[in-house]
Amino acid sequence: MHFDVERTTVAGRPALTVRGELDLATAPRLAEDADALLAAGPAGIVVDLTPTVFLDSSGARTLIAIARKAAAAGAELHVVAPRANRPVRLPIDLLELGTVVPIVNSAGEVPSPAVNRDAT
Amino acid sequence: MTSPAPGPAPTVDDEALARCAEEPIAVPGAVQPHGALLAVTEPDLAVVVASGNAAELFGGPVAGRTLDALLDPAGAGRLRAGLAGDLAELNPLRVWVAGAEVDLVVHRADGLLVTEWEPVRGAGEAGTAWHRRLPTVLQRLSASATLDDLSAVLARDVRALTGFDRVMVYRFDPEWNGEVIAEDRRADLEPFLGLWFPASDIPAQARALYATNWMRLIPDAGYRPVPLEPPTVGGRPLDLSGAMLRSVSPVHLEYLANMGVRASMSISLVDRGKLWGLIACHHYAGPHRPSYTDRTAAEFLGRTASLLLPTQVVTGEQGDVVEVAQRQAELAAVVGRTPRSLAAALTDGEVTALDLLPAAGVAVRLGGQLHLLGTTPPAERIGPLVADLLAAGVRATDAVSRVVPAAADLAATASGVLVAEVAGGRGDYLAWFRPETLREITWGGNPYTSKTAQTDAGPRLSPRRSFDAWSETVRERSQPWLDHEVEAARGLAALLTETAASRATEDNRLATALQRTLLLDQLPKVPGLDLAARYLPSADDVVGGDWYDLVPLPGGRVSVVVGDVAGHGLAAAAITAQLRHALRAHLLRAVGPAAALDGLNEVIGALLPGELATAVVAELDPATGEVVIANAGHLPVLHATGGGAEYLHEGRGPALGLLDAAGYRELRLTLAGDDRLLLVSDGLVERGRGGLSAGLDELRAAVAGGPVAPQALVDAVLAALDPPRTDDVTLLALART
Repeated sequence: MHFDVERTTVAGRPALTVRGELDLATAPRLAEDADALLAAGPAGIVVDLTPTVFLDSSGARTLIAIARKAAAAGAELHVVAPRANRPVRLPIDLLELGTVVPIVNSAGEVPSPAVNRDAT
Repeated sequence: MTSPAPGPAPTVDDEALARCAEEPIAVPGAVQPHGALLAVTEPDLAVVVASGNAAELFGGPVAGRTLDALLDPAGAGRLRAGLAGDLAELNPLRVWVAGAEVDLVVHRADGLLVTEWEPVRGAGEAGTAWHRRLPTVLQRLSASATLDDLSAVLARDVRALTGFDRVMVYRFDPEWNGEVIAEDRRADLEPFLGLWFPASDIPAQARALYATNWMRLIPDAGYRPVPLEPPTVGGRPLDLSGAMLRSVSPVHLEYLANMGVRASMSISLVDRGKLWGLIACHHYAGPHRPSYTDRTAAEFLGRTASLLLPTQVVTGEQGDVVEVAQRQAELAAVVGRTPRSLAAALTDGEVTALDLLPAAGVAVRLGGQLHLLGTTPPAERIGPLVADLLAAGVRATDAVSRVVPAAADLAATASGVLVAEVAGGRGDYLAWFRPETLREITWGGNPYTSKTAQTDAGPRLSPRRSFDAWSETVRERSQPWLDHEVEAARGLAALLTETAASRATEDNRLATALQRTLLLDQLPKVPGLDLAARYLPSADDVVGGDWYDLVPLPGGRVSVVVGDVAGHGLAAAAITAQLRHALRAHLLRAVGPAAALDGLNEVIGALLPGELATAVVAELDPATGEVVIANAGHLPVLHATGGGAEYLHEGRGPALGLLDAAGYRELRLTLAGDDRLLLVSDGLVERGRGGLSAGLDELRAAVAGGPVAPQALVDAVLAALDPPRTDDVTLLALART
């Protein structure tokens, strides 16, 4: 299956939209792209898993690594994983990744940067 | 502990010890005189058995009367109300009897209600000030960072509470010799801290009683026992093992008298059901009796400390466990990778068999060839020594000369030997050696002095008279082998067996070698448990991160584990080995699966930052079917019953390595008749059509309609789901037999 990470914008934030299977073979690509995105020093970034069709523990580990790097860089990370996307959302919920990264149900639930600045 | 040899214990006359062991301490037929005992029927509370001093306490005869008649109506009413509920909440009931205040304490034994009446007058009371401080004391106990701190706090606060002249915390060694590890005492008394007391000071029978009955009190060691009337009920003496007034063995009183002790109290320290030590309280100035309430508070401190013991003890060993596991994984990698002979790989590489665990020397005998590393006995002595040990059924000992007296002259190099056999019919083995470690032990009195006296009834145990400190140097002993070291040695030997057998045909030695360190060669047999496990490596010959384990626990319970480390390859396999061993250590020490997972989560946070793993633990008591499950981000356990199969979604917490402090929860259930539990890794369910969610549904359907027996069930599930072999697959089914 084709795997692809595309640079997009979600709620005014720089985002990575992940297509295909996020697993041991493909997770390093996402990690590299996230590093590149964080290098620009954004206030927040988004990883959008809406079109992702599979997520394994290696993919989950990569999401945690991105979250830790983002926190160290002072950037806020949101992960979009719709509840309807069961193959991706179920492992996220079983692992309780939400305890360290905000998981939102749709791109529309990512707060815009302006709202976020007011809140902090 | 691994030494089968008796310790440096005194030799005493076996017959006299046996006589003491037969002494009926649970059914002495008498009580101590600081209270009276009445055994009554229920529900009419009619007196059936009474201690000889009851008439005095009640101001008249008690035989044939009822407690309703002996108590005032208010007291009788409170007693009857309390009997309907939890007796522990009733005790003590303060009542008026014959114009005096009395603490009434009740329990049930032999089908009777045993009531004990202890006058308040004459008892020492710490007063409300101390009880107001209880929260502070508890906080101090739980804040203790080390075992030394914990026992020091315990000794000080129990003495402050009870007013005894001396309070000691004893710790038993594997041979039941006791060491005083903390003490608080009247300033003018000589210190006992650091003294050892030989195992024979507390007979085995008494120790068995101490593990269930947490508190003993002798307010006046010079007392005269008060007999029970009648002496038997239904032809048997009344069981007093739960009675606070139980009269103690005359041998024990003589022992106390020889130490100059006038009053004594002891509280058990119990670690996971096993007697670990004692809080021993002595009074020398005269009789001494703390009130029932103060004794209960002291017992409560002992119980609290008992709960804290496992974490304090494990802190010291945890680092070593992880280090040994790391070495084991490295050696497994070496063995799997090397194109050379296995013996060469183990003896002249960067990491050798000698690095596996702390030892002075190692002998590697492979393919009939002996290779030596470090400091060992002469080559020609090693073969016969190992053969003698194996013939005696001993694979690990810290006192070789007690098993093989002819090897006493090897003490300088081999006081301790750990042997792991390599199967294959060539007499191959690995043997690690530890030198003699001279250990100074200061005994409280000379434990070797004869303790038997000749009486008309034959030899009888006579407690030691001398309690002056007497020190000896223990010879021909090494540092003991720890359980995780023995297990690592066996794991390496098993790996060599496998590797040697499969070398000719195995293409991917590395993968096999590593997986062997993670999986059990053979599931240990656990009484009452039927268990089946299957592990399928991935078809790509990539080493996965799955592991499973079966850890027998004290008391017959067993923990079953399935875990998964994120990632693949050598790194993931090495981490998996470390986590498996660390979790084993925590399961053996922790109070339950959730606490063990908390401990494992801390290990990852401290030693393996950035790693992500999941694990689920099911702790089963085969005798009762009670199961406690804790789950760290792993797939839910499937519970199959006659009526179908359901996933257990309670008792969950985040994956290991996500949070610094995860705070895992537990789910409790009871396995009935044909119930089974299925623990799986995601390789079984995540790659089918429809992904994980559909895979879980398919699994449930396959189990609900599958066979009952665990092995057949596991086979049927694999056939039904037919997982693509892109990841490793683990599944494990268990049931009661």
